Amino acid sequence: MNKDQLLKKRYRAEKRFKFYGLVSITLAILFVIFLVNVIFSKGRTAFQRTTIAVEVNFNTEELELSSNASIEEIQDADFYDLSINSLLKLYKTEGAKQEKELLRVFSPDHDIEIKNFLIKNLDNLNKNVIVNLTTSDDIDQLHKGNYPRHLPEERRRISDFQLLIYDQLVKENKVNKVFNTFFFTNGDSRNPELAGIGGSLFGSFFTIIITLILSFPIAIFASIYLEEFAPKNRITDFIEININNLAAVPSIVFGLLGLGILLGTFDLPRSTPLVAGITLSLMTLPRIIIPCRASLKAVPPSIREGALAVGASKVQSVMHHVVPLSIPGTLSGTIIGLAQALGETAPLILIGMVAFVVDIPATPIDPSASLPVQVYLWSEQAERGFVEKTSATIMVLLSFLIVMNFIAVYLRQKFEKKWS
Amino acid sequence: MINNKVKIKTTNLNVYYGDKQALNDVNLEIHSKEVTALIGPSGCGKSTYIRCINRMNDVIDICRVTGSIEIDGNEINKKEIDVVSLREKIGMVFQKPNPFPKSIYDNVSYGPNIHGLAENKVKMDEIVETSLKKAALWNEVKDRLNEPGTSLSGGQQQRLCIARAISVNPEVILMDEPCSALDPIATAKIEELMDELKKTYTIVIVTHSMSQAVRVSQRTGFFHLGKLIEVDTTEKIFKNPNNKMTQDYITGRFG
Repeated sequence: MNKDQLLKKRYRAEKRFKFYGLVSITLAILFVIFLVNVIFSKGRTAFQRTTIAVEVNFNTEELELSSNASIEEIQDADFYDLSINSLLKLYKTEGAKQEKELLRVFSPDHDIEIKNFLIKNLDNLNKNVIVNLTTSDDIDQLHKGNYPRHLPEERRRISDFQLLIYDQLVKENKVNKVFNTFFFTNGDSRNPELAGIGGSLFGSFFTIIITLILSFPIAIFASIYLEEFAPKNRITDFIEININNLAAVPSIVFGLLGLGILLGTFDLPRSTPLVAGITLSLMTLPRIIIPCRASLKAVPPSIREGALAVGASKVQSVMHHVVPLSIPGTLSGTIIGLAQALGETAPLILIGMVAFVVDIPATPIDPSASLPVQVYLWSEQAERGFVEKTSATIMVLLSFLIVMNFIAVYLRQKFEKKWS
Repeated sequence: MINNKVKIKTTNLNVYYGDKQALNDVNLEIHSKEVTALIGPSGCGKSTYIRCINRMNDVIDICRVTGSIEIDGNEINKKEIDVVSLREKIGMVFQKPNPFPKSIYDNVSYGPNIHGLAENKVKMDEIVETSLKKAALWNEVKDRLNEPGTSLSGGQQQRLCIARAISVNPEVILMDEPCSALDPIATAKIEELMDELKKTYTIVIVTHSMSQAVRVSQRTGFFHLGKLIEVDTTEKIFKNPNNKMTQDYITGRFG
C-alpha cells in the first residue's frame, strides 16, 4: 500500500467512526422520545377529573341542622340521604336496579364531597346550589375517551342505561373536566378516581430526608478520612475494594438486610419511611463515598502542600482548602446518589412498603407508601383509571429526578466558578 | 559579603523512598542571610534535600529520613518537633505557583490567621500590605485585593506565593525551582526580589539554571545521584571547582 492509499483508508475509518457515533446518538434520542411520549400520552389525562353538575338543596330541616349551623355541627351531620335524593333527581329512573345504576355513575364518596362543599361555602345553607361531583372511574374514562363504549353490553362495566344517562348529561352540558387536585392531595384508594399520590409524596419525602441525614455526614467523613488521613496499606485497600463492591450490590440485597436486621432484630415499625430511609442510606453510602473521594482526589496536591508549607496542620489544610474545593463534586455526587435512592423500589417492597396505605403519613414512623412503590402497586390494578394514574406518578417521579439532577449541575457550575 | 554564621546544618542526612535511597550522607551547612543555590541534574536529590528542612517529606508515607538537621543548633529531625511551628519558621515556595483559589488578600492572610499573628483587622491589613510590599507585588494588586489569586499572571502568582511565605515572618525561605514555570521578565523580577529578601531571610534555592545560580547566590552546592559532590562559594564553584564532575556539569558536558 502506498502513502496515498493509507491516507484514504485513514479518512474512511474516521468517517465510519463518526457515522457509528451519529447512529448511536440518534437511536438513544429516539428511545427517549418514545418513552416520554408513551408516559405523557397515557398519564396526561390523570391530571383531570370528570365532574357532573348536580343541583343540591342544602335544606337545614332535611339535614337536621339548626338554621345557622357551625362547622362542627355540619361535620357531624349525615349528608347521605340529601346526596342520594339530589343524584336521583338528575334522571328519571324506574326500579331499584336503575336507581343503583344512576348512583354508580358517581364516585361512592358523593355525600362527603357535598359536605365538604358546604363546609367551604357556609353561606349556601338553605339555598339551591349547583355542586360538581366526581364521577365514577368508568364514566371518567368514558369522558376522557379511554373507554371502549362500542363493545356489546355484557362485555363492559357501564350499562346501556348508564350510557343513556351520560349522553343526556353531556347534552345538558353538565359533564365537566376540572384539574384533579385529588391526585396530589389524596392518599391511595381502591377507587381510581379518588386515589392520589399525597401519601406516597410524603412517604418519599420523609424517606429521602432520613437517607440524606444518615448517609451524607457518614459518607463525607468516611471519604475525607480515607482520602486524606488513612495510611495507604492493605486494610485501607481492602476497605476501598469493598466500598466499590457495595456500590454494585443489587439494591434488593439491601432490602433483605433491612428486613432481617431492622425489622427482624431491632423490631422497627414495618412499612415506615424510617426503615426505608435507613435501608436506602445503607445502599446510598458507597454511591456517595465514591464520587466524594473522586472529587477530593481531584484537588491538586499543590494546594495541600501550599497550605502545609505556611504551617497549617493536616486538618487545617484539609478543612480550609481541600474540602471547599471538592464541594461541587461532593454535592452533585450526593444529589445523584439521593436521586437513585428516590427511584429505588425493590428494597422498599421487602421492608413492607407495598402495603395498601390510605392515610397520609404525618411522621416518619407512620406506615406509608413511596412514589416508585406506588407506581408498582397501581401498575398491577385492573381498573382503567389506574393506568393513567401509574403513568402520571411516573411523570411526577421523573420530574423530581430531573429537578434533582438540575440542582446537581447548577451547584457544580456555581461553586466551580467561585473557586477557579 | 560572605556570612559565616551557620543557620542550617545537616549531618549524615539519608533519605529513603521505600527501598530507593534518594540522599546519601549529605553534610551541608547553609549560612544565615545569604542565598544558597543547589544545582544538579534532575533526580539528584536537591528537592528532596530542601523538603527535609521543613519536614515536607512527612507527607509522603514511604519516605524515611535519617541523620541530623540542626537549625540554629536545634535538632529538628525528630518526632517531638512540632512541624506546624517549624513550618512557620521555614517558608517554602514551590516550582509551580500554587496560590489558594481565594482572594489575593486571603492568600496572604491565611498564614498569619492560623498562627494568630494579628489581633485585629487593622493589624492583619498591615501584615498583608507589608508582605505584598516585600514581595514587590503591592503596587500591582493594591486595588484588587479581593480578586482571586488565580486571576494573576504566572509571575505575579509566584510573587503572591512568596508574599504568602513571608507573611508568617519565617527565618528561612526554601525555593524549589521558583522560576521554572515563568518567562524571563517574571524571572528577572523574582531574582531581583531575592536579592532584597536575603537581607532579612536565609534563602535556599533549587535551580536548573546555572546562570540563575550565578546571579542570585553567594554559595552553591552541587548534587549528583543523591550525593553532595561539592559545596563552596558560588564564585569558586563556577570559576574553579575542585571536583571534575562539577566542572563537567557547569560547562554543560553532562546533565
